[in-house]
Parts: sequence; C-alpha cells; structure tokens
Amino acid sequence: MIKSRTFFPLRISAVYVISRRANAMFALLPFLIFLAVFALYPLYELIKMSFMETAIFDGEFFSEFNGLDNFKKITTDPLAVNSIKVTLLFSALCVSLTLFFGILGAILVQRSVIFKHFARNIFIWPAVIAPVVVSMMWLLILDPTVGFLNKLFLFLGRDPQIWLDSKMGAFISVVVVDVWHWTPVVFLFFYAAMSGINQEIIEAARVDGASERKIFGNIILPILFPTIALVATLRVIMTIKAFDEMYLLTKGGPDNATSIISLHIRRIFVEILDYGYASALSFSIVFVLALIVSIFYFFRKKRVRE
Amino acid sequence: MTSVIHKKRPKIYFGTETCILLALVITVTPILWTVILAFMPNKSIINSSFEFSFWLENFRAITKPGQQFTRQIINSVIITFGTVLLTLAIGAGSGYSLSKLKPPKLFTIPTFILASFLPIVPPITLVPGLYVVFTNLNLLGSLTGLILINTVFNLPFAILMIKLYFDQIPEELREAALIDGATERRIFLSVLLPLAKPGLGAVAIYVAIMAWNEFLIGLILTTGGDSAPLTVGIAGLVQDYQILFGEMSAAGFVAAIPIVVLTAFVSRQIVTGLTAGAVRS
Repeated sequence: MIKSRTFFPLRISAVYVISRRANAMFALLPFLIFLAVFALYPLYELIKMSFMETAIFDGEFFSEFNGLDNFKKITTDPLAVNSIKVTLLFSALCVSLTLFFGILGAILVQRSVIFKHFARNIFIWPAVIAPVVVSMMWLLILDPTVGFLNKLFLFLGRDPQIWLDSKMGAFISVVVVDVWHWTPVVFLFFYAAMSGINQEIIEAARVDGASERKIFGNIILPILFPTIALVATLRVIMTIKAFDEMYLLTKGGPDNATSIISLHIRRIFVEILDYGYASALSFSIVFVLALIVSIFYFFRKKRVRE
Repeated sequence: MTSVIHKKRPKIYFGTETCILLALVITVTPILWTVILAFMPNKSIINSSFEFSFWLENFRAITKPGQQFTRQIINSVIITFGTVLLTLAIGAGSGYSLSKLKPPKLFTIPTFILASFLPIVPPITLVPGLYVVFTNLNLLGSLTGLILINTVFNLPFAILMIKLYFDQIPEELREAALIDGATERRIFLSVLLPLAKPGLGAVAIYVAIMAWNEFLIGLILTTGGDSAPLTVGIAGLVQDYQILFGEMSAAGFVAAIPIVVLTAFVSRQIVTGLTAGAVRS
C-alpha cells in the first residue's frame, strides 16, 4: 500500500481518471449490449406477453391485452399447481441427497489411502457429461428389456421390473439420475473445503480424547457450514432449472408425476401454443426466484455487516 | 530424515475403502454400460441375458453419408468454438474493466443485477421472449444464434472468473506501464492479458464443456435435423419410436468420451471451473 503511494500524482490526475473511466465503460459495453438484447429485451417481451392473449392465424401473431387473465389461469390450472409441487419435492429430495452423499464422499476420500487419487479423478466424470447423454445412459440402465438393471436381475434369478412406468418408480428414477449426475460437484466443493481445514485442530481434539463422531459434529461440521449454505443454494437453483432428464426419461409422465415446472412451461409454449399463459407462468417463476435470491442476498449482507 | 522414517504410516480403513469402491462402481457403471452397448449389435443388446461382442457397425451406421449425425457433430464443434472465442473476447475486456479500471457505480450495479439474474432463472422462462428476439433478428435455426445465446448464458460466470484472475495481478504492473507512457489498450493487450492466460484457459475449458453439453436452447430454437447440435440429435434418437439402442449408445459415446478424456488431462482446471462455476449455475 505504501509503495503505491509513490504514484500519487498519477492517481489524482483528472484527465487520467476520465480516460480510465471511459475505457472501463468501453470495455464493458459489448457485455451490456449482449445483456440488453438477450436478457433485458426478452424479459420485457415476456412481461408484455404475459398480459396479452396471443393467437396465430396464417403464421401471423395477433395479440390483445387481457389484463390479469393469464395470471388467474395459473391458480385454476391443476397441472401448474401439480408441477410446482413436483418441482419442490424433486428439489428437496435431490438437494438433501446430493449434500449427504457429497459430504460423505468427501469424508471417505479424505480418509482413503488406496483409492484417494483414483477416486478424486473418476468422481468428476458424471459432472462433465452432457445431461442429455446422462439421461440416455440411464435409459440404458432402466429400460425394461435392454436395461442393465433388469439383465442383472435376471442374471441373479429375480423378476425384471418396469422402472419408469409407475408414478413412484419414475419419480425415484429421475431423483436417482439427478443425484448420480450432481453429487460429484457437491463432492468437489466439500473436498476442497475439507482440504482447507487445519489438521492441527483435529489432531489436538484427538489428543484430548474426542471421539471421531464428536470431532465431526463439533469441529468439522461448523467449519463446513458456509460451504453447506452455498452448495445448498446452488443445488436448489440447479434443481429448479432441471429439464433435460425428465424431458428425455419420462416426458413428465406417467400421469404428470415427473412434470416439473420447466417441462410444463415448455408444453404450454410448444404444444398448447398458449404464449400468454406460458409467459405469465414463466414471469411468476422468475419473480419468485428473484425475490428469494434478493432476500438471501439481503440477509447475507446484513450478517456480514454485523 | 529421521522424521520421515518415524512418521506414522497412514492407517488403512477397510470400511472406508470398500465404500469408495462401491461408489466408484456406481459412478462408472452407467458410463461403462453405454460404452459396451456402443460396440454391440442390436441383436445381442436385445437379448435378455448378458452377451458381449465387439463390432463397429453402430459407428459406421451413424456416420453413413446422408445421416444427420456427422452434420450435428460439426454443428456442435462450431457452436463450442464460436462460444468459447466470443466469450473470451468479450469476457476478457469486461473482466479486466471490472478488476482494474474501476468503472462508475452507476454503470456496474445494473450490470451486476442483470448478470446475476441470468444464471438463476430457468432458461425455459426466457424462451418465449428469446423466441421473439430471434424471430426479429432472423436468427431462428442458425448456428450464429446458438453461439450468441450460449455466450450470453456463459458470460456472467466467465467475467466473474476472469475478474478474479486479474485481481491477483498486482496493480503496480499497470502503474509502471502507465508511467512508461503505454496506452490503456497497450497495457491490456501486451502486459496484463498474457499474464491472465492460465485463467483464460480454465474459463475456456469450462465454457467449452457447457456449450458442448447445452440442450434446451438448441431444442427450442432450431428445428432439429441438420441445423441442430449433437445433444438435440441424441435426444431425437432416444425418443424414436423404435429405438436403435446400439446406434444411440454409439452417438452417446461420441458425445461423452471426448469430454471424459479431456477431463483426465485437465482435471485441475475443470475442478476450478466446476466449483467456481457452480456459483454461476
């Protein structure tokens, strides 16, 4: 800090500050244009469309203002309510399971001697494979005839199952696929966080006679708490954004048991072609998420200040 | 020396190692099963017992002239390279600006709000609006359009990462160059940008994986077939009424294996990207 004071005259030169600011804005400009065209404008169109009744005749769009009708539709659409329920249940299950397995995996790999290096490298694999390919891979596991699971069942002399055809089976399957796909990312976070823990603290506790369980519960877990909060938030966002697995494995079925919100919006937009309603539903989701994230930011800022 | 000799050997917990082995098996099985099926004829795939063979007809079938698959691989490669280049070109300037040039608050706060909003919302919610933009700009079904959208979705994270890298480069370097009379552009291009190369590399790898794996936007903003990326092509194979399991596995193999092999070589950069990158998604 002291050293940079030798450049003091340079810093206060008005010409320099103005030119630096001009350069700063110039360098940010492409990004701002991108955001304006591909984020702000679509958002504006979304809001506009959510107050309109849009119809297509001969490939032309005809729109008419219809007030809050589209938003009222959400409450009377049983499939929308269902998709919100499915999304929340999916999110709750996937977030808690990936956190559990991710933390467990990080602890195990930390303690491991034989597989440490090997496991660290291989556990990344699912996370880098495309969700579409992951879904395809699991279809090859769960398929009633060619699926690995049923072949294994037959090989072991048990009856084959039809995994994706029952409501429960399909829902559990997409949860399993999501957990398989994203536990690695959670694992990496916690592995990094645990590698950062000072081993001397744990050694000291051990010398004082603390049990392994006590060490984990009273020392490691509190240190990991910020990481848990961060990863949980990320995972909630990821599960609400989920689309590919359901779209490919179950198409939302059977009987809408796996029809999460993204899938429902896509259906309204692409199949039912009710643009106004699709926009109103989209806008409501965006609004609720923005609200949640703002509250989260607000509290975090407050906590940091205190 | 003595301390090394007397250092306690790490204790091997067999329960731990068994659990990890089990987790490894669960991790690898779906991937390995796809690889096995990719090299098997449909006849033995449909057979209800385990039956293994090795043949390459599946790969030959999907790359036959007249098949969309080759075209879709090329599309995906173009989208990936285009997205990486555009993201780095825009991201390097913006990240540098945020890190070193102190843009006015009036400018950065709206940028920050918009940029943090983008990764949070499900992409599908932006689709109705994007559809209108694409129609107006006549970009529907074009590779340019997909490159632009992929770039938009990856930029917030890329800029954040690049900013953090520039933050690590001491301010004194810039000031020294300024005193020597270098222009801002010159300082950026010849002094600081070369120093940020490792960071840009990590960002490039991460963005490449994201662009290569992207599905939803490709699905909705193209009409499929020759204009679609590889992921959309594979989804088409999955949803065919009569699934050709062998060819489907072969296509999945082609889409997944390059990334997995890449992972083996640059796992450190990918870990940086994923752990920081998840902040974004």
